[in-house]
Amino acid sequence: MKFQKSITFISALCLVSGLTLAAENSTGPIADINPPAKGTVTEAQALEAFARIYEVASHPRCANCHVGEDNRPRWSGPSYAPFPPGQNWRYHGMNVNADDSRIGAETMPCSTCHQTTPDLDSAPHSPPHFGIDWQLAPVEFEWFGKSPNEICEQLKDPARNGGRDWMGLAEHLVMDAGHRGPVLWGWSPSGDREAAPFSLQQHVDDMTIWGVGGQPCPKD
Amino acid sequence: MELSVNGQAHNLDIDEDMPLLWALRDKLNITGPKYGCGIAMCGACTVHIDGQAVRSCSIRASEVNGEVTTIEGLGSPEAMHAVQSAWKEHQVAQCGYCQPGQIMSAASLLARNPNPSDETIDQAMSANLCRCGTYPRIRAAVKTAAAKMGGA
Amino acid sequence: MGAARTIARRTFLVGSVALAGGAAFGVHTIKKPYPNPLLDTLEDGEFTLTNYVLINQDGVTLITPKGEMGQGVQSTWAALIAEELDVAWDDVKIAHGPPGKAYYNAAVIEEGLPISSLDHSGQANFMREKIAPIAAKVMAMQVTGGSSAAADGFVKLRVAGATAREMLKNAAAKKLGLKASQFMTVNGKVITPDREEIPYGDLAADAAALKMPKNISLRPPSEWKYLGKSMPRLDMKTKVTGTANFAPDLRFEGMKFGTVKMNPHLGGALKSYNADKALAMKGVDKVIATDHGVIIIADNTWTAFKAANLIDCDWGKADYPDTMAEHYAAVGAAFDNASYDSRNRDIGNVDTALEGAEVLSAEYKVPYLAHACMEPVNATAMYQDGRLDVWAGNQAPGDLKAHAMEVSGLSQDQVHIHTQFMGGGFGRKSEVDFSEYAVRAAMAMKDTPVQIMWSREEDMTHDYYRPIAMGRFRGSVKDGNIHAFDLNVACPSILESGAERGGPDLPGGDITNAMTIWDQPYAIPNYRTTAWRARKLLPVGAWRSVGGTQNAFFQESMIDEMAHAAGRDPMDFRLEMMNNDVCKTVLETVKDMSGWDRQRPEGHALGCAFVLGFAVPTAEVIEIKQTNDGIKIINAWAAVDVGTALDPRNIEAQVFGGLNFGLAAAIMGEIDVKDGKINQTNFHDYDSLRLYQAPKVEVEILENGKHIRGIGEPGTPPAAPALANAIFALTGERYRELPLNKFVAFA
Repeated sequence: MKFQKSITFISALCLVSGLTLAAENSTGPIADINPPAKGTVTEAQALEAFARIYEVASHPRCANCHVGEDNRPRWSGPSYAPFPPGQNWRYHGMNVNADDSRIGAETMPCSTCHQTTPDLDSAPHSPPHFGIDWQLAPVEFEWFGKSPNEICEQLKDPARNGGRDWMGLAEHLVMDAGHRGPVLWGWSPSGDREAAPFSLQQHVDDMTIWGVGGQPCPKD
Repeated sequence: MELSVNGQAHNLDIDEDMPLLWALRDKLNITGPKYGCGIAMCGACTVHIDGQAVRSCSIRASEVNGEVTTIEGLGSPEAMHAVQSAWKEHQVAQCGYCQPGQIMSAASLLARNPNPSDETIDQAMSANLCRCGTYPRIRAAVKTAAAKMGGA
Repeated sequence: MGAARTIARRTFLVGSVALAGGAAFGVHTIKKPYPNPLLDTLEDGEFTLTNYVLINQDGVTLITPKGEMGQGVQSTWAALIAEELDVAWDDVKIAHGPPGKAYYNAAVIEEGLPISSLDHSGQANFMREKIAPIAAKVMAMQVTGGSSAAADGFVKLRVAGATAREMLKNAAAKKLGLKASQFMTVNGKVITPDREEIPYGDLAADAAALKMPKNISLRPPSEWKYLGKSMPRLDMKTKVTGTANFAPDLRFEGMKFGTVKMNPHLGGALKSYNADKALAMKGVDKVIATDHGVIIIADNTWTAFKAANLIDCDWGKADYPDTMAEHYAAVGAAFDNASYDSRNRDIGNVDTALEGAEVLSAEYKVPYLAHACMEPVNATAMYQDGRLDVWAGNQAPGDLKAHAMEVSGLSQDQVHIHTQFMGGGFGRKSEVDFSEYAVRAAMAMKDTPVQIMWSREEDMTHDYYRPIAMGRFRGSVKDGNIHAFDLNVACPSILESGAERGGPDLPGGDITNAMTIWDQPYAIPNYRTTAWRARKLLPVGAWRSVGGTQNAFFQESMIDEMAHAAGRDPMDFRLEMMNNDVCKTVLETVKDMSGWDRQRPEGHALGCAFVLGFAVPTAEVIEIKQTNDGIKIINAWAAVDVGTALDPRNIEAQVFGGLNFGLAAAIMGEIDVKDGKINQTNFHDYDSLRLYQAPKVEVEILENGKHIRGIGEPGTPPAAPALANAIFALTGERYRELPLNKFVAFA
């Protein structure tokens, strides 16, 4: 799919004001990819950008479904307490397992509860939904409980990031958001859920800053 | 808007945000799917859309794309679906309020996986609550239904 | 009212009720039967033979006037009638029937008697067999609860079936000029001496005109066709095909749908409200103000729910404390002479025995619990031409009717109650609040059927909760046995809370506070059980096994603590103390079933508990396993003694269902109060046991007890202590507070 590197103003407006688009086919880009010029980003600035990227990736809105081989989504974050003693997370209730398909195809699809709809608005404690089929991220994109270094190394490894360079990652973010997918939802989760930190635009910017700055990774 | 339920087409004049559950229950008088929580935590409202289990409390009727099947459409007292027969054979139901949802979930599971293991049953059937605690018989009935349907 | 009144009545000193009844009504009145409730609603061509049999040309309908909430009571009651009436099981049709004093519960009284179910002395039997029945009749409660239906119906329904059968035979005999003894009855037909078959329907009119025969003799168990067998439940087919009618499934022409928005500070007033936004919504008909909240009537339930969210209300405060700490403090403060409730057991001298001994002591506590029936509370009503009809799943139709009359100002013959299947009851549906709001709506919406469905949130936050409770004990062991046990429990009184909603405020102790602690079959030389009554806090009510869950958790954990202190195996420790053979056999049975003495793999452990509750000795063993994700409950075994088992498969279902209900509460059940409101609103924060958490369960049913007993509740109380004791066996940690997921992870 082709997309333009420009802001669709209406979409952006909706995002900023917390409104959602009712239009079914709003697949247009809603964040701008505007990388800094080559050589203008110091390593320190790139690391700062990555620190913000990490804050997003490790946030419950994102990490809960970026889980590993057990295929079990997590419930973490303020709305999911109480947690088992000594833990700040729990497995998704109801013994949910997305199976190797990562979408529950073998037993109970995620979309049994998480409907596919362009409307991002959902009531507190009801299953959130977005414009693409609810599913776990690919298993290589395991973020839950991972350190900044681990997530960083994964993000820059084409073998584990869907074969993308940093621009590819930025484009992926914009495209997913354009489909009203999880990337867009992460910052407009509705239902009293805590949004991912910063903003979608900031996140895309950070990806390009980190990329132009040479994709440095923090040490753990 | 148009909605096809149990093979019958309906034309509905309802609010755009009305969940399928209430369109079925209050507009079409199809009361097999039950209201239990309204937030997909209990599964009592489970129906099928094109054969897949869906919590009807959590999808708008206006967004349904496909054929809706409720417990009434799965089988009738005179001609029960294999899952319903297995439920009867094992005398699963106690109060019975959650059972339409349990049965719809089980039917959807068996359509995907004709020979589910204990572990698979535990995965697929744990989003349907039963306060009477009929679970041991649900497990047994899913296995019997699988056998009836040619799996196992 | 509702459960309040019911429990109030049954916990009243039964003897004095019987005496007062005798004085007030005269002995003649007490002997006189109540009128047949079916006579009021007979249609043309319908005839009634006894209170339980209705016949027309289409066949026989058995009246099973007990609330069906999943316990299978209507099928078992039908079997009791059909056994003597000779109706083919496949032809059995049942109906709940109208409320009626004739359907008073003769057995529920017994649990309220201050005599142990194991006491068969002359005095105890006199109370049980002579006084209690009079009291039950005078009180005339038609209530489904207290695990009483088996005992209540065991004789009277077979007598009804046999009486109807004899009337039909008599009618045939009269018609043909023969003797009744020359006829047989088979599958709904009277068989003449020359093998001619006359359907019951053809004889009903004649039979109904005959006098009811007396001195009916019942068939011996050896001849039973249905009883003692696992019969297919009569409601099963409708319940697996979505065709069973629960109250919210009723649909009438012109029906309106509504909901309620009640003061979140329970019992607080509605001071003012603004419904402008709600009333401006398309499809909203009416907003009705009541003392404690508003009723919203609309086109459909969804619109009513949305409209409810748009109403701004100014709520008055509740009269209980705002925080959970204060609630627990209030219960803790009740262990004081000023809050004495009752001391029903005081053997030896606990104080002296504990002096100078090594004293073991600890404090336990449990939170409030919601009933959380899968079907949120609801009712449907219509007022038209001076007649009010109310459709509701309920456990106490008499109370419901009385309350509907009070609310509507209508008379006895204007109010008609139609009892529907309940999507779970557990005690919640013995209350009358949900039908009250449907009645109020119907009175305000003349000529219109109105269905009032509470949202799950309203249901969860406006319950009559299982009381918060605390237990304290002091004990000592000597020569490997308990030498002294001083058990104290404290909680708000269900009876006193009920008095607030119309039940009588009676003097004396509340037997539910002391349930399952004072009458346990343990021979302990110095043994004292005391119930203390905390001040009124949240509204509380009967919750499956009433006082049993909290008290059993306390007591059976404490016994385990003492077994450990004595260095004994907790199973053998109990067995050795047990002074009743029926109970002992139950415990021995569960010991065998579970293979208690068998070596378990590393990381597995067993826990046991025994509870005599609702006169049913019940023993459970739970096996747990440590996994990477936490503790997994893998197996459970339960043994019960019901005296006579009418339907083994159904009894089994009640036992494992009750056990799972108890496990749900033990693992994760907790209602708490925050800022004066209930903190939990739906299943996301008041979850229940799910399939993957439910153990495999084996149930064994024994029949050694003297009396027939019911089984809806007894499976629940032992679950929590058996689990906590298993966790102790596994981890060495003794958890004295529920729910356990505060302390351990469960897989």
